[in-house]
Amino acid sequence: MKRAPLLVLAGTAAGFIAVLSFHTRQVSATAVGRAGAETGGSPSASPSAASPSGARPASAGPAAGNGAVRSAVGPEEQFGYGVLDVRVTVSGTHIADVSVPVLQTAEPTSQQISEQAIPMLRAEVLSAQGLNINAVSGATYTSDAYAQSLQAALDKLHIR
Amino acid sequence: MMLSPSGPHSLPVNAWASSAAKPLRTAAASGKRRPSGRRSPVPRPALAEGALVVAGAGLGATTALTITAETVSQLSAAGGLVTFAGNLTGMVGTYLALLMVLLVSRIPFIERVLGQDGLLRWHRRLAPWPISLLIAHALLLTAGYAQAARSGLWHEVNTLLFSYPDILIATIGLGLMCLAGVISIRAIRRRVRRELWWAIHLGMYLALAISFAHVIVLGPSFVGHPLTQVVWSAVWAATAGVVLAYRVGLPVLRSFRYRLRVAEVRPEGPGVVSVICQGEQLDRLAVSGGQFFFWRFLTPGMWWQAHPYSMSALPQPPYLRLTVKGVGDHSAALARLRPGTRVAIEGPYGIFTRHFQRRPRALLIAAGIGVTAIRALLENLPRSARPVVLLRATRREDLVLGTEIADLVKRRGGQLVELTGDRMTASIDQYSLRHTVPDVKERDVYVCGPEAFVTDVVQVVRSLGIPEEAIHHEAFAL
Repeated sequence: MKRAPLLVLAGTAAGFIAVLSFHTRQVSATAVGRAGAETGGSPSASPSAASPSGARPASAGPAAGNGAVRSAVGPEEQFGYGVLDVRVTVSGTHIADVSVPVLQTAEPTSQQISEQAIPMLRAEVLSAQGLNINAVSGATYTSDAYAQSLQAALDKLHIR
Repeated sequence: MMLSPSGPHSLPVNAWASSAAKPLRTAAASGKRRPSGRRSPVPRPALAEGALVVAGAGLGATTALTITAETVSQLSAAGGLVTFAGNLTGMVGTYLALLMVLLVSRIPFIERVLGQDGLLRWHRRLAPWPISLLIAHALLLTAGYAQAARSGLWHEVNTLLFSYPDILIATIGLGLMCLAGVISIRAIRRRVRRELWWAIHLGMYLALAISFAHVIVLGPSFVGHPLTQVVWSAVWAATAGVVLAYRVGLPVLRSFRYRLRVAEVRPEGPGVVSVICQGEQLDRLAVSGGQFFFWRFLTPGMWWQAHPYSMSALPQPPYLRLTVKGVGDHSAALARLRPGTRVAIEGPYGIFTRHFQRRPRALLIAAGIGVTAIRALLENLPRSARPVVLLRATRREDLVLGTEIADLVKRRGGQLVELTGDRMTASIDQYSLRHTVPDVKERDVYVCGPEAFVTDVVQVVRSLGIPEEAIHHEAFAL
C-alpha cells in the first residue's frame, strides 16, 4: 500500500495529541477544583482529608495573627513508585508537625522504603524548621516528592 | 468415499479435465454451473488502511502516556533522564512487540488486502525494533536506578532482579525474546531444523505473557492511574483474543465444518501428484483462484506440520484439489498419502487473485509447479480478461495440468503459449514477451513459479514499463 507511511504517521500524531490533551484537561480540572476549595476558609485550622483518586483538595485558613494553628496539605506528588502528599501544621510560623496522610506505592518494596524514609524526613524538617534538609539516601524519589508537597503546603500558608 | 463408473478407487476423469460443470452426485445443485467460487472474499482496502491508522494512534498514545507520566522534578533528579529514556524504550518496545504479534495473527480483513506473504515480510522487517528497544530499556533503567540510588551497576542489577517481584520474570521473558529473535536471523535459521525453530519462536508468546505484570505494577504511567491500567490491560487481552481466534479458533472451526479427507492421490507428471480432498459444505468456503491454504495431513509423521500449497483448481464441491511437486520430505510424502486420511486446512490466504487485477486483460506466466496457482486463477478470471497464458518448462512432460489449461484458455478466447527448452533457448525476456504478446503493456501480469524465475520475469516485466500495481507474483520456495 502506497499511502501506508502517511497513514501510520497521521495516526501516531493523532494518538499522541489525543493523550496529551486528555492529560492536560485532567490536570487543569483538578487545579480548578483546588482553587475553588481554597476560597472558603475558616479562622481555625480546617484539616481536610485527601482522597487518593487524583483530586487535590487543600485547605488553608486565612492568614491569621501569630499563634494561630493552621495546617495545609500539599498536592499529591507522583514519584514514580507511588504517590504521597504531605500535611504540615504550623503554629504561627513555627512548623509544629508534618505528616503524610496519603501514601500509595506500586509494590511492597517501595512501601517499605517510603515508610522508613518518611519519619527521617519528618525529623529533619522539624529540626531544620524548613526544607533545608538532605534527601534520605536510597529514597531519593520519596524525598523529592515529600519536599515538593511540603513546599507547596507551606506556600499555601504563606510561610517561606 | 463415492464410487465412480470407471473403477472403485478413482474419480471420473471428468472431475478435473475440464472446467465445465460436473454432474454432481448429490441430488441438489444439478445443472448448476460452477457452484463453488460463488463466494469469493473481496478485499476492502479501507479497512486495512483504518487498521494502519489505529496502529499509528496506539504508538502515539503510548509515547504520550510515557511523557505525561514524568514530572520536571523527576527528570532533574539523579538518574532522571536515563530512567525516562528507559521508560520510553520499554513502552514503545512493548507496543511494537504487540504489533508484531498482530501482524502474523492472520486477521482476515487485513490478510485479504496485504497478503500473508506481505504480512510476513513486514513482520521480519519490524522485528529488530522491539527487541533492541527492550534491551535498551533494561540497560537504561538499570543505569538510571543505579544513578538515583548512587550505587554501582552490578549492585543495582542485583537489587532490581531480586527485590522487585516481577522483574526477574520479565528479564527471563526478555531472554526468551532475544533467543526467538536471534534464531530467526536468516543465516542461523537456515541451519536449524524447522521444527526446532518453530518451537523456540513460539516462546515469544510466553515471553510476552510473563512480562506483562512488571509493566502494570512498576511503570510510572500506571501507578496511581487506574484508567491507563484498564486500557493497557484491555489492549493486551484483545491481542491475546485475536491470536486465539484467528490462529487457533477459526482453523479448528473450519476443520470441523469441512471434514476434509483425502479422496485420491493422482499422478500428474514426473514427480508431481494431485491430492484430491473430499469434504462437506465446501460451497460455504469462500476462496479465489490463486489462493493457498496451509495443509495439515493428520497422519503419523505429518500431523504436526502445516505446509502452504496453492489450490490447483477452484473447489468443485465436494472436492478440493492441490497439486504438489515432491521436492522436500513433506511434499514427497504426499504421494504416499492414503485415501481417507483426514486433512485440516488454514486459510485461504494470498492476494494472487483476480481481485487485484487493475486492467481488463491479463497475461499469466507460470514455470514448473507454479502452474497450479495459475490454473486456479485462470478458472476464476472473467471472459473479458482474454487471458494469454505463458507456460515455461524444461521438458514437455513437466507441463502438468496442460490439458486443463488449454481447455480453460479456449473457453475464454485466450491464447496459450508453451515455452519448453533449457534456459538458454527458451528464456523470457523483453523481446520474446513483446513478440509473443504484442499488447503486453496493456495487460495485468501474473507470474508464478520458483523464486529465481519469478524475480527474473518480474524484472523483465517492470523494464517493459508496466506499473507496479499491474504486476502480481507468487514465488514458491522450493
